[in-house]
Amino acid sequence: MKQRNLFLEILYAVLPAVSIACLLVLWMGVSGNRPDLIPTPAETWSRFADTFDKPIMRLSFFGHILASLRRVMTALLISWSAGILFGILIGWSRTGKSVFGSIFNMLRPIPPLAWIPLITIWFGIGETPKILIVVIGSIVPVIVNTQSGMERVEQLYLDVGTVFHANSRQLLFEIAVPSALPTILAGIKTSISTGWMVVLAAEMLGAKSGVGFLITRGMDSGDTALVLVAMIAIGIVGALLAVFISFVERMICPWLRKK
Amino acid sequence: MAEKKIRLRLDKLTKIYHTPEGEFEAVHEVSLEVQDREFLVLLGPGHCGKTVLLNMIAGLEAPSSGSFYLDEKEVRGSHGAVGMVFQKTGLMPWKTVMQNVELGPKMAGEDKKTRRERAKKYIDLVGLSGFENSYPSQLSGGMKQRVGIARAYTNNPEILLMDEPFGALDAQTRYAMEDELIRIWEQEKRTIIFVTNNIEEAAYLGDRIVLFSECPARVKEIYEIDLPRPRNNVDPNFLHIRQVIAANTDLAL
Repeated sequence: MKQRNLFLEILYAVLPAVSIACLLVLWMGVSGNRPDLIPTPAETWSRFADTFDKPIMRLSFFGHILASLRRVMTALLISWSAGILFGILIGWSRTGKSVFGSIFNMLRPIPPLAWIPLITIWFGIGETPKILIVVIGSIVPVIVNTQSGMERVEQLYLDVGTVFHANSRQLLFEIAVPSALPTILAGIKTSISTGWMVVLAAEMLGAKSGVGFLITRGMDSGDTALVLVAMIAIGIVGALLAVFISFVERMICPWLRKK
Repeated sequence: MAEKKIRLRLDKLTKIYHTPEGEFEAVHEVSLEVQDREFLVLLGPGHCGKTVLLNMIAGLEAPSSGSFYLDEKEVRGSHGAVGMVFQKTGLMPWKTVMQNVELGPKMAGEDKKTRRERAKKYIDLVGLSGFENSYPSQLSGGMKQRVGIARAYTNNPEILLMDEPFGALDAQTRYAMEDELIRIWEQEKRTIIFVTNNIEEAAYLGDRIVLFSECPARVKEIYEIDLPRPRNNVDPNFLHIRQVIAANTDLAL
């Protein structure tokens, strides 16, 4: 039994590497036979190395990643703080829900990119409009999750609060918010991927820096290797962000740790 | 013998729920006197409104009619003198044992040092020393209910309400917890109102047993149990009381 477990452990440790290797082999196979469809891994790698010698728009490759990252992170910090506050407002207070709930439900289905024309008229084409569009996109999951977490606080915990004489502020901060925390964090995770999605689109539509700009540049000049480099970078940065956020989750919600 | 002091008096407490299917009466004109420092057991079949009665005393639900008096003063809403141990423990999973136990004094704004000292005293009393920093998910069912008891005691209630606190435990743990509860009660005498649907548990714990009828709950009979403690649940007197109560109990269907 023990032997078998050890075997499984090793298998599960090795499998991720195997599946990535398979993907690479597939990529090599396709690019070797049909070079018009996709550049080879070697070409992509050398294109990646090139970006350090020949900056694009006076920015190195990491400069572009940083530019996107800065936009996303600024926007995310805004949507996390504003989204959690607003979610608590419409999820906890009945007045808050009846005043703002229907407005939010009407604004929610509008894709963030639909705001681009208006926002361009209002704020021009600098950093602010891009960040704003990312905020519009990424705030939605934060609000939705916070609201549902706050609406679904177990009555039992609120009863305990009543029996132990919690006032309304204590009911909110000692009981409701912590019990909604796991749901809120799930919304925050979703907001990160939404944020990336929107920043890419915003950059592709008009920017002089960022990963989205790299992709547009690669498309316009037939440089598919550059497009691939940008795509892989997005994948890696996104995965790193997800790891980081699970770490933060374990810090904030220690009671959810697996034993 | 000294006159027994009345702590809590219920006067024709009634609870009616208005549901789409019509009116549903859960508690019908229950009048009771609870003496100071007694262990009172409310016994009744299945779902017959015992919990509703307890929730009304705890201030979680408002009575449809009737009133109750604490030391002859009428009470409305939740009251500092009343503590409660919940059937489903109601421990907050995001709080450690210590943070759960110190809830009451923390809500009252007591400073950290004093409230932690008192919480520690009751954590020790229920036998959970060393588990202060554990989360409820790391504890067994019996241990969780001990935390619930420590939490109620730390809030210094004069009257302790217990709503089938051992209902979810296996038989062995249940017996152990009953002994534990009696030990704590003898050490820290408070008035306890204990709800159960288990006749043996009622006879083992109570000074007096209030037997309720099937829905709506109304007082059917009150038994005084003056067997010495610790009680022996195979003693002939004990078995006799058990039989008498059992014969008088409505069957819960």
